[in-house]
Amino acid sequence: MSDRKPGVYICKGCGIGEAVDTGALEALASGDLKVPVCRQHDFLCGADGVATIEKDIAAGAVNQPIIAACSQRVMTDQFNFDGAQTVRANLREWVAWAMPAGEEDTQMAAADQVRMGVAQAGKMDVPEARVEEGLSTRIMVVGGGSTGLNAALEAAATGHDVLLVEKTGKLGGWGAQWSKRMPHRPPYRDPQDNNVSSLIKAVQGNSAITVMTDTTVAETDGMPGRFSVKLANGAGEKQEAVGAIVVATGWRPYDATKLGHLGYGASPDVVTGVELEGMLANGGVKRKSDGAAPKTVAFALCAGSRDPEHLPYCSSVCCGASIKQALQIVEADPEAMVYIIFQELRTPGTAEEFYRQAQEAGVIFMKGKVKSVGADLTVTVDDALLGQEVPMEGLDMVVLATGMVPNATDPDKPAAEDGAEQLANDIDPVAPIARAGAAEIATPAWGEAAPEGGPILNLQYRQGPHLPMLADGFADSHFICFPYETRRTGIYTCGPVRRPMDMAESAEDAAGAVLKAVQSIRSAQAGMSVHPRVGDLSFPKFGLDICTRCRRCTVECPFGAIDENEDGWPVLNASRCRRCGTCMGACPVRTISFDNYNVQMVSEMIGAVEIPDEFSEKYRILILACENDAAPALDMAGINRHSLNAEVRLIPVRCLGSVSMLWISDAFQRGYDGAMLMGCRSGDDYQCHFVKGSGIAQERMANIGQTLQSLMLEEGRAKAVEVSIADSAKVGKMIDEFVEEIRGFGMNPFKGF
Amino acid sequence: MTIAPPEQAARKYDLGFARWVRGNVVNGEKMSLCMQCGMCSGSCPIGTEMDHGPRKLFMMIRAGMKDEVFNSTTIWNCTSCYNCTVRCPRGIPVTSIIQDLAAKAVEMGYAKDAQNARFAKAFWWSAVKFGRTDERLVTTKYYYSGGLVDFFKKGLGNLKIAMGMVKTKRMHIGMPHKIKDTKGLRAILAKAAEIDARESKGGAQ
Repeated sequence: MSDRKPGVYICKGCGIGEAVDTGALEALASGDLKVPVCRQHDFLCGADGVATIEKDIAAGAVNQPIIAACSQRVMTDQFNFDGAQTVRANLREWVAWAMPAGEEDTQMAAADQVRMGVAQAGKMDVPEARVEEGLSTRIMVVGGGSTGLNAALEAAATGHDVLLVEKTGKLGGWGAQWSKRMPHRPPYRDPQDNNVSSLIKAVQGNSAITVMTDTTVAETDGMPGRFSVKLANGAGEKQEAVGAIVVATGWRPYDATKLGHLGYGASPDVVTGVELEGMLANGGVKRKSDGAAPKTVAFALCAGSRDPEHLPYCSSVCCGASIKQALQIVEADPEAMVYIIFQELRTPGTAEEFYRQAQEAGVIFMKGKVKSVGADLTVTVDDALLGQEVPMEGLDMVVLATGMVPNATDPDKPAAEDGAEQLANDIDPVAPIARAGAAEIATPAWGEAAPEGGPILNLQYRQGPHLPMLADGFADSHFICFPYETRRTGIYTCGPVRRPMDMAESAEDAAGAVLKAVQSIRSAQAGMSVHPRVGDLSFPKFGLDICTRCRRCTVECPFGAIDENEDGWPVLNASRCRRCGTCMGACPVRTISFDNYNVQMVSEMIGAVEIPDEFSEKYRILILACENDAAPALDMAGINRHSLNAEVRLIPVRCLGSVSMLWISDAFQRGYDGAMLMGCRSGDDYQCHFVKGSGIAQERMANIGQTLQSLMLEEGRAKAVEVSIADSAKVGKMIDEFVEEIRGFGMNPFKGF
Repeated sequence: MTIAPPEQAARKYDLGFARWVRGNVVNGEKMSLCMQCGMCSGSCPIGTEMDHGPRKLFMMIRAGMKDEVFNSTTIWNCTSCYNCTVRCPRGIPVTSIIQDLAAKAVEMGYAKDAQNARFAKAFWWSAVKFGRTDERLVTTKYYYSGGLVDFFKKGLGNLKIAMGMVKTKRMHIGMPHKIKDTKGLRAILAKAAEIDARESKGGAQ
């Protein structure tokens, strides 16, 4: 911004006027800070207050209103002005509501908030959107099973053209092979008719959907709005342009031949649930050995699931599917006796009705773990309720309810050579995500956790061909906040490839992923960020004149947004970027910046704080708080009137990943006594909105210790902590404890230099 | 379905037993509704006098532990207070199932030595014969059912109580009291047996 015209507007409402001397703040802004327009108002977010600001903007006196009032998270509509860039200084939640009214320390904290706001405005520019023309709005759905069919129909219903790619010769996937499905409509009592055939018909009859069977994805390149996919079928390869990709590749059953201890292979009458389903769909259940209908059947649930030797997780649908199959057997032959041996019967929600229906139909449920199944079909149950082993003899058939393995890889493709060409070694698809204080994470190495096979999409990204996976081999998913997101922007997963689920759940999941895909296309068209900084127009800019081609930005970007060209220079794929700033925090020469968020801006804010001299006995501690979880928790601490230490100075950051270590060393050189990073939980069950940002920050902080030592400062003066958004009652105490630790070290000897 | 004689239960665990209970025991088909919450066992005032609580008894039926079910004290020590039936969240008539299991145990030749079975028989004999229970006759018959030694041991052991009861006119001496219309009582019992034979699954009591 060539011509910055800041104006400071101080609100006296909501208790700010009683807690601090707003007159002194105005005098500070217009005096020392030399801001030409400074005003106080009793009720700034009211119509009159807003009109005051609008009048100044209309008169051309102000184009950067600095709102010294409430948190940046509230009143965003009121303080959103056309043709002006709003800066917020939080006097309410972080000062007036959290610190004792009228005290000198409170006034100093408020004054520093105003100073930081003015400093921030001085380094901010209005971002200009990178709008691109001619983007594709077509959505490619990979996988033609029940989830993919639903996704295709949902996408077509939103008005988008759809490209449905199916590897096999026909649509329907596993779902088409089921005789019936679990109930998904009231009264949730009986197995219901399978609707996959009608889904197939609807897809085939929809002119917006192009179905390509016998086709796989050979290569995927590009970014939201501009994906370029190479599709391969027997006839050859074909290049297609799509705007977003929905991956609905589903699941495959766990390999039952690994379940020798459960009798699979020892007797032909030990079958898997999938095999039984085939019998039910094709003329009824018959023993493979003699073709007779079984009279006594036992279902062994969790066969190879929740078992560290096999699948460590619960596949969630086997309980319901086994109940369905048991009911079908009893319905066909009321004399048949069916036993279901379960460890924990997982029938959430309406499935409880289904469970009861089976009990009423006479299916016997036994709680225990199947220890072994003999070749003579003797099932030995470790009965949990009797506390003893029960041998079940005289069974006609044993059904193993095997679990789901996600098709996060294509089992028919050779496993990609890890690291070849794409430098994939830099980011392992199942790489453990660092966690504070836990160097060792029990995450299996690549190849152990990931299902066997090659990449589904074969991404031509610098970060490798795979969609990143979590520890169990399911496609990455921020399970709390953004379930459909992968770490590759514009590519959304749904259905059992992201977590085990049944047909009803995956239909809902398909709708969710499609809406995300639509959002990513629209955002790409407008040059905006997708979640979680939806609507952000800024993007990282690289100062190539001083770039050293160190590749740290390309390696650390959690979303594969930055590629390298042949000469090793970073190249931004703008619509893949989610604007977290992890690249900015990574850059050792600080040449990556956003128009409205950059290293210099935060440095200036840190420097704007007035550091009392060493005789004042007043400490100053810098807290860089992630604006996704930590800053809201601090806001809520203020709302709940928990006290915040008046010696800390809080600066919200986009993500801890964006924190440049320069800020920390800057702070100590300027005389701060301590510095703390507050961010989200890292690790495999991460809560970081940008997946790896907080983990990366933890790693970087491990190195800051050396920097501090070289400054002859104690390592403990800087630390990173993890908080969740629910920790509002705790954050104040965490800060107090940190301040106590710092007091233990004494004041920073650099004060006054 | 017919009742299998006890000697046929060669195995300790008989998978057919749950099916048999379903088909033969009064309300046996409700047994599969049990979700093993343990409300019955927790509510049972006499649970400490049972070798297995009702919950475990049901689980044993599922596991096919026929002999242990029929030989358990659970089915005999139930006092029919109906706490379990009233409290069962799945609405299973637990008391009724336990009572019929006891009846079936007698029919099938289990519980030959069970005291409660012998007492129940003596009680029933008196009730049918006089329309009332005469303490002297019921106890005498019950004591004698355990053999001569047991008869003297129990009889002499309780003599003091008996004398006290006579003294306080709690037990009368002389001819046993009878109801007026024993014929009518027999007709009622005959009708009840007829209904039971018609509606119950297995043999009558």
